[in-house]
Amino acid sequence: MGGDNNRRKRSESDGGGEEPPPERKMDVLPSMIKNKEKRSAVHAKLKQQKKLEKRKKAKARDAAEKRALELGEEPPAKKIPKTIENTREVDETVCKPDDEELFAGNDADEFSSILKRESNPKILITTCRFNSSRGPEFIKELLSVIPNATYYKRGTYDLKKIVEYANKKDFTSLIVVHTNRREPDALLIIGLPAGPTAHFKLSKLVLRKDIKNHGNPTSHEPELVLNNFTTRLGHRIGRLIQSLFPQEPNFRGRRVVTFHNQRDFIFFRHHRYIFEEKETKQIESKGKKTKDANGESGPKGKVIARLQECGPRFTLKLISLQHGTFDTKGGEYEWVHKPEMDTSRRRFFL
Amino acid sequence: MPRTTTLECPGCPPLRALTFDELGLIKVIEARGQQGRAEPKVVERWGEPDSSKSVLAASIDDRKSDPLLAVARRNGTIEVLNPLNGGLRFAVTNSSDNGGDDPVAGLHLFAKKNSELASRSCTLLTCTTNGNASIRSFELTKPAADVASSGSSTTWSVGAGGSISCSKVDRSENYFLFGGKRVEMSVWDLDSCAKIWTAKPPPKNRLGIFTPTWFTSATFLCKDDHRKFVAGTNSHEVRLYDISAQRRPVISFDFQETAIKSVAEDLDGYTIYVGNGSGDLASFDIRTGKLLGCFLGKCSGSIRSIARHPDFPVIASCGLDSYLRLWNVKTRQLLSAVYLKQHLSNVLFDSNFADEEAEIVNPPTDRLQRDELSVAERDEGETRRVKKNKSKETNGSKKEAKTKGRNKEEVSIFGGRDDGETPPVKRKKSKENKGSEKEPSEESGCKKLKSKKSSKRLNRADVDSTS
Repeated sequence: MGGDNNRRKRSESDGGGEEPPPERKMDVLPSMIKNKEKRSAVHAKLKQQKKLEKRKKAKARDAAEKRALELGEEPPAKKIPKTIENTREVDETVCKPDDEELFAGNDADEFSSILKRESNPKILITTCRFNSSRGPEFIKELLSVIPNATYYKRGTYDLKKIVEYANKKDFTSLIVVHTNRREPDALLIIGLPAGPTAHFKLSKLVLRKDIKNHGNPTSHEPELVLNNFTTRLGHRIGRLIQSLFPQEPNFRGRRVVTFHNQRDFIFFRHHRYIFEEKETKQIESKGKKTKDANGESGPKGKVIARLQECGPRFTLKLISLQHGTFDTKGGEYEWVHKPEMDTSRRRFFL
Repeated sequence: MPRTTTLECPGCPPLRALTFDELGLIKVIEARGQQGRAEPKVVERWGEPDSSKSVLAASIDDRKSDPLLAVARRNGTIEVLNPLNGGLRFAVTNSSDNGGDDPVAGLHLFAKKNSELASRSCTLLTCTTNGNASIRSFELTKPAADVASSGSSTTWSVGAGGSISCSKVDRSENYFLFGGKRVEMSVWDLDSCAKIWTAKPPPKNRLGIFTPTWFTSATFLCKDDHRKFVAGTNSHEVRLYDISAQRRPVISFDFQETAIKSVAEDLDGYTIYVGNGSGDLASFDIRTGKLLGCFLGKCSGSIRSIARHPDFPVIASCGLDSYLRLWNVKTRQLLSAVYLKQHLSNVLFDSNFADEEAEIVNPPTDRLQRDELSVAERDEGETRRVKKNKSKETNGSKKEAKTKGRNKEEVSIFGGRDDGETPPVKRKKSKENKGSEKEPSEESGCKKLKSKKSSKRLNRADVDSTS
């Protein structure tokens, strides 16, 4: 709060052609006035002043731009607003493109055989022990999204026994959907045979039937889009997700599955797209938090991609990554989120 | 303006650490600079990334002359390297197994048997997960040979029924303990290769549940006493055993909720450092079982190995989050963290590392010179501190000239600590001398150096005595 007031003071002294300069140090903080009516009056006045200033600045900016355009000069550079992604704390674990240890590590990790297309992914989906309402629906939709997946009922088996069983039957991954209060809320992705276990928190689940104008997915293999997994940990999670889907470079169907990572939240979307020629319209890209496989459009006759959403929509957040298969007691964690790690609002791990 | 809680990392005292990771790379991290303020950096990287060569165990024998580093890899080979420059001395394959099936669980390079310089041999004790332990000694031929002639070797099986996961040899190198999954801790006498003590599992707890034995880490408590040791289990328990007292654990306490992955003892004989599978590092007083404190520092991966620096109050921890972290023991503050890109499996300190301000580019050869130096000048018969003291002696004795009537030992100690206080001018002179002699002389040229150095020292000693 002190910081805000400093900022306000500074801006007032800067914006200062308006106000008489001596107001700088004499200015009373509205929060210091004990009388509520007077305080709210002073505050309202301050706000109005700021609004007027802002409008003036915006007008001046637009006028300058227009003038520059008319005169044929360069318009003054647009200022880029600071966002949390822009000002993200520098992370030294970001993967660099020329890192040979990274490539060697990739070759050596558990997913390399699937990602090099030596073996096909085969997924086993199951649930937690007590299962109800939205769980099975979500699983049905997952089965349609991920090719080569089968659903087994949980019964009362131990998760370790299930891992053994899956290993025997040559599955490559195991997904456990955990429900809490009749809503799916956690996803456990276990790579097999000895692979890492990723525990995600699942939220904002929207099923297919609840999406307006949804489409129905075909049975082609989907194209996979993984956005913004920059750090080493993110890279590893990205490869884990990649190992769920078959790697087919010549994809035929027009189906795309997107995992977009932003601020440590992974957004899952599933679309069908079609390329079309469009005449003059300019489509704005959608809001920051949703990602589409957008085609940009230009003025005339450009190809754009139209999207139709199908399939569920949910967000994941990584809680922990365990080194072996699921083992709470003796497990070794590669990454576990601890509250002491959140040192700033601009620090992200994936 | 953005609200941040920063963890300010003051630097660490000059030290050198070696880390081993799962791609078989050995990285050397050095912190050089002012005392207590150095930022550690990776200076060398040995080996090519290859996951079949991932390091399972490592042991260092950092004596002054011809230090050795033994490394056990996943493909069954055991390599002995020179820790100063990474050169391979020799490599052997574990002949008893077929490489991948029976990986090495513990490795120890004996130090005391190699005290005479004449016999350049090294003895290795290896223990595999199936319980095959063997002591082998190898002759080191003079140039860095690739094949070593193996001398004597003894092999015996230490126990069936389970898999060994932790083993340790005590300081006097007469006793060897190990334990593992379904294998109780037991202590063996190395001379007779006989088991002298086995632990008994604690009785059922009040619910009648009997947890299966699974020891994941162990260490002897004190370097003089082979009878007490600390073991950490998979069920997050830390236990103190006393051989002379009883077979059940003397003290046992819980720590957090994941397996105890590594335990290290402090030099004072009653403090231990415990690291577990979710990255928590804490220190305990083992006499009472009391938690002294946790080391908070954003460690998010399991801690695989902890090492205590023999001189400075610094410990290093490394683990699956690919960071090497250095902590101050007394204040439990994070001194610095180095990102090392792979899952790390072991960390070792190289205690023969002394930093000097005007230290120029060639640390290995420099240290080699000093190694030879201090070996030749063993007149004072000190301990590991010898090397550091000797190199500081040149500066320390100058201090002596200023502060008369002080014990030489003390001054050298101070000299070792206060890097920055001796006048730079004089030091440069000594450095230049060293530097000029550096180039022509290799390992064999030590004699020349030594004589010059000793004469220098004598001169200064004369000065001191007269002043």
